[in-house]
Amino acid sequence: MGNIMAVCRREFSSYFLTPIGYVVVGMFAAISGIAFTVSLFTYARMSVEPTAYGFPSTPDFTETLLSPYLVFCGMLIMFLTPLITMRLVAEEKHRGTMELLFTWPLRDRDIIFGKYFAALGMLFVMMLVIAVHLVLIARITTLEPAVLVFGLLTVALMGSAFISLGLFISSVTRNQITSGTITFGISLLLYVAGNLGEQLPTANPTPEGWPEMLRSVVGWIYALVRGITVELAVDAHASEMALGIVQPRDIAYYLLFTAFFLFLTFRAFESRNWRA
Amino acid sequence: MIEAKGLTKYFGSIVALEDASFHVGAGEIVGFLGPNGAGKSTAMRILTGFFPASRGEAFIDGHEVHEHPLEAKRRIGYLPENVPLYDEMTVRGFLSYVARVKKVPRAQRSDEAARVMERCGLGNMGERMLRQLSKGYRQRVGIAQALVGSPPVLILDEPTVGLDPSQIVDIRRMIKDLGGDHTVLLSTHILPEVSMVCDRVIIISRGRIVVQDTMEQLTAAGGKTLEQAFMDAVASDLAAEKEAV
Repeated sequence: MGNIMAVCRREFSSYFLTPIGYVVVGMFAAISGIAFTVSLFTYARMSVEPTAYGFPSTPDFTETLLSPYLVFCGMLIMFLTPLITMRLVAEEKHRGTMELLFTWPLRDRDIIFGKYFAALGMLFVMMLVIAVHLVLIARITTLEPAVLVFGLLTVALMGSAFISLGLFISSVTRNQITSGTITFGISLLLYVAGNLGEQLPTANPTPEGWPEMLRSVVGWIYALVRGITVELAVDAHASEMALGIVQPRDIAYYLLFTAFFLFLTFRAFESRNWRA
Repeated sequence: MIEAKGLTKYFGSIVALEDASFHVGAGEIVGFLGPNGAGKSTAMRILTGFFPASRGEAFIDGHEVHEHPLEAKRRIGYLPENVPLYDEMTVRGFLSYVARVKKVPRAQRSDEAARVMERCGLGNMGERMLRQLSKGYRQRVGIAQALVGSPPVLILDEPTVGLDPSQIVDIRRMIKDLGGDHTVLLSTHILPEVSMVCDRVIIISRGRIVVQDTMEQLTAAGGKTLEQAFMDAVASDLAAEKEAV
């Protein structure tokens, strides 16, 4: 544990010894701040004239402002995590400090969890910005504790999932730009895949004339692919949770996502033992 | 203290190290000598656990490096060849971090950082950023980093590269002082350095150990200088290769 904290502290402080930490947090604060202000103004107009916006009466605050805002923050974090994670391992490899890490008395898990927690620390700093916004809201309305807790949990879980993905990509690349680009690409792909999944028809797409056996096999594969595309989408599991409606499978999705990529990171570290 | 048994390392089809066996006793200073690309760094990287050997075993104080990496690594101070450092940190910050990683008790960390800085002539450089340091000072920080926690075994890959003549003298004197308390394996291709510092020499050529002897034995045989002994060893190895082809 001591070693994890040692690596984590160095890693976290180096975000702020270089410009990257200030850039990421600054951008997050500016963009989420603008989004927050815009949605607050929109909500204000909606509550004055609900009928003009198609609501029979004053719209629900949580549903129309808070939850979309938190999901938006989650998406914003998706765009910013590659900047946090791209350097984690790739930079060590590029400048050779990996040789120090691997020859100091450290285990792989000290290095991997140290780096993972340091990136989570950056996520936590960004969530402090969200906390400021929530404090502002709390002054004008009462917030349901469930919405608050699970809304923030959604952001944290989404962030942690993207960080583990980014950490893995960083551990298989030498170049930070490659690492960041691939992480960003995969995140965006997972996001877009959900939209595609929703457009795919549920019915079996095979023609009537095909033999029954073939139809059922192809239909089964199609349903599986469609199911994965729908479920894989990173934002699909977020919206309901941000409303305070919590289903174990949504939480499990993010936890499994995180665990899966941490597992792959361990394998990537171990690959030095069997690669030539 | 350091024991290598039949170390072999392949990089793809290239043989970087072939069946290297050697032994370094406690308190000895041994020089690893060889032309560029002979496999000195490869051998050192296996000994320090940076990557495993394709075949063979390496022991540090009785602990097999690949089987018990933590036990072995706790006993090693290692200076890698190109002295990689965390550029955004200060000298003191970096050395305190190393002290923490090497499990120096909290109360002694700043003393330990101060001690190695003093030892390596970095006394007044504590607040300098590592990226601003000249090659010579980076080299010193690299050595200081290896000394943190006083590990019994020091493995130094070309410790005097990039230093100015007076620094070279300093570092050589320092390494000589370290012998006795520490077991030192250093690599170099500067021949006089070996005769000045080392008790024993291991000459390596094309991944194979060609000579392993004490300084006296090596130079006494036929009254040769170390330079002649080295050239003979490498030349006879190359001749053997030609014959094989």
